[in-house]
Amino acid sequence: MKTKPNNPAAETGRSASLVGRLVRGAVLWALPLLALTAFALVWLYRESTYQIFDEPLISTVTSLISSAETIPQDSGETIIALSKEPLDPRYQRALSGRYWQVITDEAQITSRSLYGEEIDFSADERAKLLGNPGAQISGSSPGPDGESLRFVARSVILPDIQRPVIMVAAMDESPAKRAINRFAVLAISVLAALTLGLIAAVTLQVRLGLRPLFDLRDRVASVREGSATKVEGDYPREIAPLAGELNSLIAHNRDVVERAKTHVSNLAHALKTPLAVLTNEADKAKTDLGEIVGRQTRTMTSQVEHHLARARAAARAQTIGTRSDVTESITAMVRTMARIYGQKDLDITQNLDPEIWFRGEKADLDEIAGNLLDNACKWAKASVKVTVSAGVEAGFASMIVEDDGPGVRPENYAKALQRGERLDEATPGTGFGLSIVDDLVRAYKGEVALGRSAMGGLKVTLTIPSAPPPEDSL
Amino acid sequence: MRVLVVEDDKDLSRQLAEALRDSGYAVDVANDGEDGHFLGDTEPYDAVVLDLGLPTIDGISILQKWRADGKTFPVLILTARDQWSEKVSGFDAGADDYLTKPFHTEELLARLRALMRRAAGHSTDTIEIGGLTVDNRSARAFVDGMPIKLTSHEFRLLSYMAVHVGRVISRTELVEHIYDQDFDRDSNTIEVFVGRLRKKIGTERIETVRGLGYRLLDPALSKDKVKAIEDQTK
Repeated sequence: MKTKPNNPAAETGRSASLVGRLVRGAVLWALPLLALTAFALVWLYRESTYQIFDEPLISTVTSLISSAETIPQDSGETIIALSKEPLDPRYQRALSGRYWQVITDEAQITSRSLYGEEIDFSADERAKLLGNPGAQISGSSPGPDGESLRFVARSVILPDIQRPVIMVAAMDESPAKRAINRFAVLAISVLAALTLGLIAAVTLQVRLGLRPLFDLRDRVASVREGSATKVEGDYPREIAPLAGELNSLIAHNRDVVERAKTHVSNLAHALKTPLAVLTNEADKAKTDLGEIVGRQTRTMTSQVEHHLARARAAARAQTIGTRSDVTESITAMVRTMARIYGQKDLDITQNLDPEIWFRGEKADLDEIAGNLLDNACKWAKASVKVTVSAGVEAGFASMIVEDDGPGVRPENYAKALQRGERLDEATPGTGFGLSIVDDLVRAYKGEVALGRSAMGGLKVTLTIPSAPPPEDSL
Repeated sequence: MRVLVVEDDKDLSRQLAEALRDSGYAVDVANDGEDGHFLGDTEPYDAVVLDLGLPTIDGISILQKWRADGKTFPVLILTARDQWSEKVSGFDAGADDYLTKPFHTEELLARLRALMRRAAGHSTDTIEIGGLTVDNRSARAFVDGMPIKLTSHEFRLLSYMAVHVGRVISRTELVEHIYDQDFDRDSNTIEVFVGRLRKKIGTERIETVRGLGYRLLDPALSKDKVKAIEDQTK
């Protein structure tokens, strides 16, 4: 069974996502580049469109130049006449969208189609043409019919005339504009689609590229959950060292915890022998000193127990990836109970699911099972039953220990789980058993529930975190 | 009854030895694993109190060796290790009981009595043999309800014979079970003790079996039953 890893990085949103960063990076360079491409494409298309568009205009201008004649007048003036007007019939039809014009200082000759109007030049354009004889310009200007005109104008020097003459041909440029607009729309939409495709491709690529990383994350999560003891699998060269380091870290962590545990337990246990000596000596001496020593020794003993328990709890919180065989532990405990309660001749029934392992330390599992079974065996008349099965909630198992003894009254359930509470002072025991079980199970985020067994006595139901058996044990 | 205490803390072993002697046992003390193992291997103890954390050889290994060599005396493990996983390894090694430090001497004595009782097949600390009562709990004896004054050696002798009532016990066995290791053993003193005991509890209760040893008689046991016990012990 696989639970969704609780990943803190995923919760903080896209700002912390590596995929997001990489994709944003790609978008950051791809978007301006694509916009520039669009701009360049439209510009190029426009240029070539006008180049083609201008060709007939240029040829009209050329034919105007070649057919221009200068006729000197008696008055000393020279007038210009065209030996032959351009042939296209559209130049004859009024406002046809095709025009030409010959401009001199004194007069101008226009195509009939201009219908008395003129092709407008800006003063700049006019000056430029007049200043550079032979120059040719092209541009847009409003036409006689309100349309936008594309014109080509060239200045020429004709014999006998001082000032350059400007020859202009113009044509309605809306077809060209429409073509350019159509192209622009098409180019931009194709590029936009390309952009989207690119982002999708980059995202996919990044995800695929980072898959070993996600895989590593899942492995680490499974180590934390206790379903694996180390990070396994083949990783690309770049993150293989990371996996190796993680494994060393996990191993180191285990070592440190193990060492710390050993130190604390050695210290605590080393204190117990002197405490035993003091306790015994104080028991024997019926004096005030004996009393004080006895009392202080009891305090010291409970302190030692307390700190030993805390050290174990701290060690427990730090170890990751441990799981222990429930069947093995319970079998060992039942074997031990048979020795401890040998003369009672108890019948201990075991109903265990070998597929269920405890997600935690073996020593803790032993402590839980040992205390529960010890308690059950102490009170049982003839039989004890222990059942281990999959729990209602995924990742948890249920452990039930019941006996046919006197049981506990429901109003005393809470009391039975309290430290040092003994419901029956007559039977030997520390009164710690069930409270230790309760503490341990809570430390593992489990639950303890007391109830009445069908066998007649107490029924203790535990919910404890479980894990599947490790692969190598199957 | 003779008890071995294997405990490396000198103060604790002294305390234990004192308490055990006060309760009427012959006591030997070993302060390290090697000595402890050797004593348990060579002397016929009725019970052993064994610490686990010992110099030279640890308690579990000693216990395993003894059990592998067929030693059946009851062993009570006395240790600071109170985890169930440690208890399991103790019991698996062959321990009969497990007591964690710190402890009250009374509890240790009670558990030892229970172990020896179980080993001998009795169900209570008090053995009743036709008007003779031997109370191992208080280390006292009564005849027809009247307390009798016994020295510690006399009580040990009586207690051992009472536990094995009906069985012929050799002088050597008696010596081994009522004296500790350091005592100057002389089997002739056994005769002296038996003589004194007879005076206190009645001559007819202790039978001398020529060439074999002594036997505490239970008037309630028929000859056949006595025979059965003899066969059993052979």
